[in-house]
Amino acid sequence: MDDPRDELKAGDAERADAPDFEALAPPEEAVHGDRTRDDFLDAVLALDSPATAGEVADLAGHGVDAAREYLSWFERMGVVTKATNSPATYERNQEYLNWRRVQRLRREYTTEELIGLLEEESERATALRREFDADDPTDVAIAARAEATDRSIEAVWERLAAWQTALRRVALLERALAAESGDAADRRSAV
Amino acid sequence: MSGGAGDESDSPSGAPVDFDRLDAIRERFATDDRFSRVDGEPAGAPDRLVCVYNDRFYPGRVRAARLEVVWYENGDFSIHYHEEYEAGAFDHRWDRHPSDHNARDHVHPGPDAPTPGDDASHPPDWRDVLSGALSEVEARQRAFWEE
Repeated sequence: MDDPRDELKAGDAERADAPDFEALAPPEEAVHGDRTRDDFLDAVLALDSPATAGEVADLAGHGVDAAREYLSWFERMGVVTKATNSPATYERNQEYLNWRRVQRLRREYTTEELIGLLEEESERATALRREFDADDPTDVAIAARAEATDRSIEAVWERLAAWQTALRRVALLERALAAESGDAADRRSAV
Repeated sequence: MSGGAGDESDSPSGAPVDFDRLDAIRERFATDDRFSRVDGEPAGAPDRLVCVYNDRFYPGRVRAARLEVVWYENGDFSIHYHEEYEAGAFDHRWDRHPSDHNARDHVHPGPDAPTPGDDASHPPDWRDVLSGALSEVEARQRAFWEE
């Protein structure tokens, strides 16, 4: 990255109060979590295909024994699922991560707020469905779409990712609301 | 198996924002002295993280600076550094996504992050991508205070 232009730099008077960059955590530390568990969680979050304990160990920067231990714990928790047995490979379990987010939505928002968020996201998803004139984003191929509509690949990629994201949020919010009404029914039947 | 570095992660129709990865980043940057605050809207499932740099790292002529981070479930990402002045701005972007005119990994360099940008090869590990961006920003911040 270029250095700033001279006229933007600190003046002589300002330079007396120059910040102490040495006091900052080094960038490599700033992006890592504090615990070994964070390193393994980071590693499995980045998996886009099944990986062995050895591969996960490399990604996490720890030994393979630790990787086996964490993977088996993550598997019990649901963070990863076993993809194959021999060799044992694991993959990120998006279903579990979604479930955990649904729990959080329920904890942090009232039913009214969830309904409001769902309306917003549904509108966004509907607008994107109209824009693409397709039922589902997976029906749309980025490159072909860009060529057919004379738009840049980046522009189509960005809109399509926005659509995928809106649909994901709709699904999460719907599940959070379904769980809410389920609870209400439970409470009523318990009375 | 990969951190999403190559074309093998190319999804023909994109992928949703990786809310979980953004949460991990938010958790770490929230306690980092570089940033005065880290916002992620909409609530509950962030589209992108807006990481506002602490203004003590900049001379008075710089009004504000921030790093906007977005990651997707297939490993695509876009990290955008933005500085604002009285008159003008500085923008620099590190990207991994399908494109007409660049490799999947590319950079849109400052001061105005032009399209097309420069082809690049970002590290396979997402944490290395992020720390690389922080390092480059820090080098620029330090240069503000040099004679």
